[in-house]
This record gives sequence, C-alpha cells and structure tokens, in this order.
Amino acid sequence: MNARKLALLIAWIAVLAVLALVVQRTLRVGSDLRSFMPPAQTADQKLLMEQIGEGPGSRMLLLAISAVDDAQAAGLSRALASALRADAHFTQVANGSFDDGILDDALLPYRFLLTPSFDEHALDATVLADELAERIEDLGSPAATLLKPLLPRDPTLEVMKLAEHWSPPRPPLVREGVWFSPAGEALLLVQTRAAGFDPDAQGTAISALEAAFDQVREDSADAQLAISGPGYFSVVVSGKTRAEAQWLGHLSTIGFIVLLLLAYRSIVVLGLAALPIVSGGLAGIAAIALAYSEVHGITLAFGFTLLGVAQEYPIRVLSHRRAGETALQSVRALWPLLLTAIASACIAYLAFFASGVTGLQQLAVFTIVGLLVAGWSTRHLLPRVLPERFRDSADTPGLERAWHFLDTLPRPRWLPPLLGVLAAVMLWWAPTPFWQNNLAALTPVPADLLEREGRLRAALGAPDVRYLIVLQADSADGVLALSERIVPAIDVLIAQGAVDNVELPSRYLPSLDTQRRRQAALPDRDALEAMLDGALTDLPFRAGLFEPFVEDVQNARTLPLLTPAMFADSPLGARLQAMLVERNGQWLGLGTLIGVHDAQAFEALATLTNGGVRLLDLKGASESLVAAYRERILHAFVIAIVLLVATVFIAFRDWRRAWHVLAPMTLATILVLAVLRVSGVSLSLFHLVALTLAAGLGLHYALFFERIAADAAEARRTLHATLVCVISALLVFALLAWSTLPVLRAIGLTVSLGVGFHFCLSILMARETRAR
Amino acid sequence: MRRRLSIVTWMLLPCLVVAAEPDAGSLIAGLAREAPARTAYTEVRFAQMLDRPLIVRGELAYLGPGSLGKRVDTPYKEEVTIADGQVSVQRGSRQPRQISLGQVPELDGFLRGFGALLGGDAQALARDFEIQTRGDASRWHLSLVPKDARLKRRVASIEVDGAADSARCFSVIDADGDANIMLVEAMAAIELPKPLTRRNLEIVCAGTAAK
Repeated sequence: MNARKLALLIAWIAVLAVLALVVQRTLRVGSDLRSFMPPAQTADQKLLMEQIGEGPGSRMLLLAISAVDDAQAAGLSRALASALRADAHFTQVANGSFDDGILDDALLPYRFLLTPSFDEHALDATVLADELAERIEDLGSPAATLLKPLLPRDPTLEVMKLAEHWSPPRPPLVREGVWFSPAGEALLLVQTRAAGFDPDAQGTAISALEAAFDQVREDSADAQLAISGPGYFSVVVSGKTRAEAQWLGHLSTIGFIVLLLLAYRSIVVLGLAALPIVSGGLAGIAAIALAYSEVHGITLAFGFTLLGVAQEYPIRVLSHRRAGETALQSVRALWPLLLTAIASACIAYLAFFASGVTGLQQLAVFTIVGLLVAGWSTRHLLPRVLPERFRDSADTPGLERAWHFLDTLPRPRWLPPLLGVLAAVMLWWAPTPFWQNNLAALTPVPADLLEREGRLRAALGAPDVRYLIVLQADSADGVLALSERIVPAIDVLIAQGAVDNVELPSRYLPSLDTQRRRQAALPDRDALEAMLDGALTDLPFRAGLFEPFVEDVQNARTLPLLTPAMFADSPLGARLQAMLVERNGQWLGLGTLIGVHDAQAFEALATLTNGGVRLLDLKGASESLVAAYRERILHAFVIAIVLLVATVFIAFRDWRRAWHVLAPMTLATILVLAVLRVSGVSLSLFHLVALTLAAGLGLHYALFFERIAADAAEARRTLHATLVCVISALLVFALLAWSTLPVLRAIGLTVSLGVGFHFCLSILMARETRAR
Repeated sequence: MRRRLSIVTWMLLPCLVVAAEPDAGSLIAGLAREAPARTAYTEVRFAQMLDRPLIVRGELAYLGPGSLGKRVDTPYKEEVTIADGQVSVQRGSRQPRQISLGQVPELDGFLRGFGALLGGDAQALARDFEIQTRGDASRWHLSLVPKDARLKRRVASIEVDGAADSARCFSVIDADGDANIMLVEAMAAIELPKPLTRRNLEIVCAGTAAK
C-alpha cells in the first residue's frame, strides 16, 4: 500500500471516528413506542393516542401473588402494598384491604359535602335520632369493635358510606381482607408514574417493584409475583426484541464475514469493504441527530436493516474488477448503473417520509442519507484505498459451471404471464383479511401473557378496555356538573341492561353547586346541639361524646369548596385526576364502563346533552386510525413507484430495457404478496417496509443482469457479485424469519421470499434480450 | 337441649375430677352440640362511650360448623346470621345487610373462634387462640387470647364461665377495656345484680363458689 493510499485511508477513518464521537455526544435514543404509531387525525383518535400513552389504563399494572396458603399471600399483599405506597415510582396502590384512611384528617370534615346521604332528607333531628339509635344496635353487633373508634367523630358513619360509595363498581373476591383471584392468588392494582408506552421508564418501575417484592418476601421462597398490564408488556416486548435482534444480528454478521472471506479471500479487502456502509450508517445517524431531538431505538434497528442494500455497492466494485484494470477504472464503468440503483432506492425510501409517522420519517432520513454517503464513498474513496493486487472473481472455481447451468435453463415465454395469473388467483383466494387492522399487532405481545392479563382483569372486575364515556365542558367543574346531570339517564341505561355499570367523575367529587347546596343544608351549632340533646335523652351515650362530630359539621359549613386540585392529595385523588383531562382549554371527563351490552343505546345520551357526552369506542378509533394510516402509506407508495419507474426510464432512455428491469421486479413483488396472503398473513406496516426493501434489492439484480456483458468473464463477474449479494441478504433475513417475534418474522420472511423471487425472475426475464 | 348438654358434661366429669386444672381439650370438646342448638341470652355491654350498661335480650343459635345465629328481641329487633363466610344483618323490616367476612379478617377470626367454641372444636380453637383453664369440674373458667396480631388489637380475650352442667357466661373483653358479657342457658333468666357493674356481673358469672 503506497503512502497516498495510506494517508487517505487514515484520513477517512479519522473522519469516521470524529463523526462517531459527535453522534455519541448528541444522540438521544427514545423508547416511546407511539412514535411508531400512526398520526392521530380525529378528536377520538387523538384521545386514543393520549390514553394509550398516559391514560390511567395504560399506567395500570396488575399484580398476582401466589403463595403456599391464603394467609401468606394476603400477608405479602399487605407488606408489598405498604412498601409500594412509599415508592415514588407509583401513584396508586390498591389491594382491597379496608382502609378507614379513605379521607385524611384534613379532608375528613369534607365528608358532609361529598356524601349524597342527606340529599333527600337533610340532617335533622329525626335523621340524627335514627342514626344514633342504629349506632346503639351496632355496638351490640359483632362489628362493634371495628366501629367504636369512629363513632365520636362520625356517628352517622359517613366515612363508611363513602368507602362503600367509592368501592369498585364490581368488587373482586375478598379473602383474608385483600383481593383474591378465583385461582387463589392475592391481587393488587398499581398505577405507575411513568407512561405505559415508555418501556425504559416502565422498566425502572418494574425493577423497583420486583426489588420491593424480594425484600418483602424474605424467606417465603415459594411465593411468586406475576405482573401484567400494558406497561409490563412494552418492557417484555422491547427487551425480547432487542435481545433477539442482537443475537440474530451477531449470527448473521459472522456468516456475512465468512461469506466475504470465501468470496474475496482477503481480510484487508473485507475490512475496506465495510468502510462505505459504516460511513453511511454514521452519516445517517448524524443526520437524524441534527434534524430531530431524539431518535427512536426502533429507527436505528430498522435503519441498519434497510441500509443493508448499500452493502451491494462495495461488493459490485470488488466482483466486477477485471484483470489489468484499476479499481477506479472499474468503478467508473459501473457507476451509471450503481447511480440508477442508488437513486431508485432513495426514491423508494422517500415513501416512508411521506407517511407522516415520526418514526418512519426518521427512518427515511437515516436510510436516504446513509445510502447517498455509502454510494459516494464507494465511488470516490473505496477505489483509491483498495490494494493493487486482487483476485479476478471471474476465475472463482465452480462459477463457470454455475454460469453455464443458469445460461442454458429453459426460459419459456409463457412462464411470467402464468406466474402472474397464478399470483392473482392466490391473492383472490387468500383466507384472511388483506390488512391487519389491529393496532396491537404493531406491538405484539406473547399469547400466554395476554391470556393471563384477561384472567386477572376479569378477577379484578377491571373496566372494559374498549369503551370510554367522554364528557366535555369548559371547566373541570363543568365536567363534574355534567356528570351529575346524566346520572339519572345512566341509571336508566343500567336498568335497561345496556351496560352493567358506569364509573363517572362525579362519583368521586361532586360539582361546586352540589357542594354549596349540601353546605347550606347543614345545621348550625345551636341547632345541631339541640338535635343531639333530643336524640340522646333515650339513649345511653355518654354526654359530650359527640363533640368532635359537632366540630366537624361546623367546619364543613364554612370550608372553601373542594376542587379537583385539592382532592388530588387524597388517596382517591389520583383516580379522579386520571378521569379529568384538559385539552386546548376544554375539559374532558373520562368515565369507565363495565360490561357494555348495547353501545347504540348511548346515542340517546349524546342527543340529550347536545354532544357533550358521548361513547368513545377505542377499538373503532384505533381501527380507523390504522386504516387512515395505511391509506397514507399506500398513497406514498404509489408516488414512489411512479418516481421509481421514471428514474429507470430516464437512466435507460429505452422503453424495452426499462421494461426488462421493471417487469421482473414487479412480478416478484406480486408473487411475494401472493405467497404471504395464501399462507394466511394479513399485511401490516412491517410487511410494507420489508416489501420495499426487497424491491430495492430486486431492482439491483435486474439492473445488473440486464446489462449486456462485454464477454463471458464479465458475465461471470456479474453472477459472482449477484450471488454474493443474494446469499448475504438471505443469510441476514432468513435468520430473522426464524425469530419468535412477529415483527422480526414479518420482515425476515418477506425479504427472504422477495430476494429469492427477485433473483429467479431477474435471471428468467431480465436477460431475455441478450444475444445468444 | 338441656338434657343433651348435661349428658356431655357428665361424660366430661371423670377428666375434670382427675385433673386439678380441667383439661382444655376435653372441656371444649364437651361443649359440642348437635345443630341446631338454641339458648336464650341476656347480654350486658359495658362501654366507655355509654354512661350506663346496655342490656340486650334474645336467642343465640348454633346452626352447625361455621354457622351461627343471634336474634335480638329487646330493646330493638335484629337478626344476625353467619354462614359460609357471610354475615347477614337484618334490622326491623329493612333490607338485610350483607358483609363478607373476607373483607374484615379480624371479625372472621373472632367469629371463627366463637363457632369453634360452640362446635366443641378444640383443635380449631387452639389454632387461633392461646387457651388457659382454671377452676374445677363444678365451676370452670376458660380464657381465650387471640394469636393473630390484628385481632389482638381489637379483642383482648374471650372468657367462658361454666358450671358442672352448663356454660354460664361468654364474655368478650375488647382491647380498649370495654366488655360484653353474655349470660346463657339458665343464667339468661336470672335477675341482674344491683347495682349493675361489670365486677358484680363477673361475680355472678363465676358463681358463688368461685375464688
């Protein structure tokens, strides 16, 4: 290697090192899976995306503790609950244990504003006398020991009534004082501070949870903790994806290195051939780091996969070099074709940019910049650092025979149309729906975890995940007032059997008007003391016993009314907060429903309130979201195809030659689609990404096969280069096809099939014009 | 029922005579009755919240393992039934109120103890309570202290007084010092001591021969 070459090589590597340093400094990798979800258009879709990420449902974790017996499980449930309540990762912990601390001391006087007990009959002498007589009876009952501490301050047992009022609409099984599943596990509901679809933050919370359980468990080694919920799933899925992609990545890298060593018999060449793709990758990352504040982990993973196309460029240069020619000369000869390939691949990836999804736009920026830089460095840098000595790939043993075999294959003219008809028939007969409309399929969760989720959800009487009731008003108090107003209509719906139960925001906090009305109806000190004296003449209660009660009623008469912000500090505050959302100056109330049997029946409610209250079908919103998304991507693809065809025509300026390149590519793409569809696959975003990649690779094969070779040796070189490319692509993607994860499998299977079809059809169709 | 009880106590007598302190196991086993067994009761509740004791009368029923009934006739009407882990409380003509015992484990432990006592299940009782006995065959006293820490915070002990041929009083001593003394069988009909203090009633329960 002469001095100039060495200097250039060192300079190139130095630039790459600086770039790597800059990237490492500026790049922030995010993990919010929503950046790979479609952009929301309608109000319902926006609400859906918010709820998916930050809504109470997505931040809820379901825990199940199994132990040797109920008593041990219940003990662990209590210990874990108190440990988690002290942990800042969690905003709410519930395990079903009776909690007389449902209102803390400061909020206790507010019970008279919160309770509906005295709405029909105000707190007067008769009501009070009845209540107190009943307390005497309570003192003789088995529950006396529980109630005694409450009586002096709360003789009407308002706290108990509120606890009952606020208990879950369909309470789970309670044993040993805590929630249990029918299978005998103690159950807990935990709400994380972190958003559900942020796997990193959820991962931290779940680690804290597991550490707390280990500490609580101590020596009861038989006890097991099972976790479920959207946040847990996002951790499992992203962890599993990362691990499996890494493992498969290592394996295919080793295979790739072995393949290149076999093909070119030189470690130096292998190292140099890697430089263009490394340059492309680093430049791509630097470009997104500059254009976006944060790059998604998936963008990087997919980006490097898609950038795999660029590995073809150095391979072409190495394989096509002929004896007596410098690397620079052979690159010049190849450049027009390579340029066409690069331009068309960039155009195909442009389609991702048009999708409007942040994650995919980042992907487009990354791959386009990467391809351009990889192409440019292959053209201008790589040839200048390659060693003088090399092996002509035309002399590779066995290549001659392979060439002869392929050359003499029969090429019946009727085969391509027949394949086309066959594919059309297969597409027509495919058993499953064409598109995968399920948003969940974008972030797939193992089936056994879903099964457990369903079981725990049913045991906890957790609300329906499909429907939400949405109340809209100008202020939080407006939402609460609206919520109170529709209670009679909701009761009618429950009576009609349209729904089993509905949990509205006003269940936890009455509107200011209602609180004011209740406040005004409370007796003043003199009146209350007179009532007490009257009631106590026949009862054996000690004189002055109820002084704390009189104090509380007096306080309640003058308290500032309770707002959602003040209520937020109470144990149930988080629950209310999750039900009240501010958006663009408007307030939304989100009520949960249990057991929806007739969604149509809710339409009357919408008309009654002039659209202020409506039923939100999250499944419908998500399906419409995916459908709208797909439409955008399809439009983008149509534009990409037109541009691609135009590029090929412009490059060739020859209809016949362009047709020979485009026809096998199109037919192969249709065949891949047909095979996928006939084997029951519904198409998702990932299949579309994979199809584009395969088409990009296929275009290369067709372009090079279509080229009229100067001599037999050059034809062999083309075959050598193409075989190396095909085998390396198959190596990477066939491995992915074995993955247990649907996403990786979809990409692996589609690209492997595509590479196979594109290669065969390119040989079959692209070379037809060659003079024999 | 009186007859059945007497037979049981007769069978118990030999062991009571042999041991200086009566053996708890056989004593409790001796309390076993065939369901349904009923007895009238008079219950006197001494509580710090009340300036005079509350006197309640009615009928107590043992309806089989884990199943109890308590009816209040005066001064108000109430019917409490405990079966299959559910407590049902009916007052006057109102809708019965249901409480699941699983929700209130303290109550569950307490009622389980009471049920085991009336069912004569010494083993079950020993699982949940520390048992002490004193007295002799003609006048015995059982003291049950709960083992469960949470129940202990509510109930200090359950005391049972018995005579040769019948149980006399069940007393529940709350952790805060309040006491609920229930006179059963023949004792239900006696005239209550005057003045009605806890000490006086305890003396009545223990019987004149008590230390």
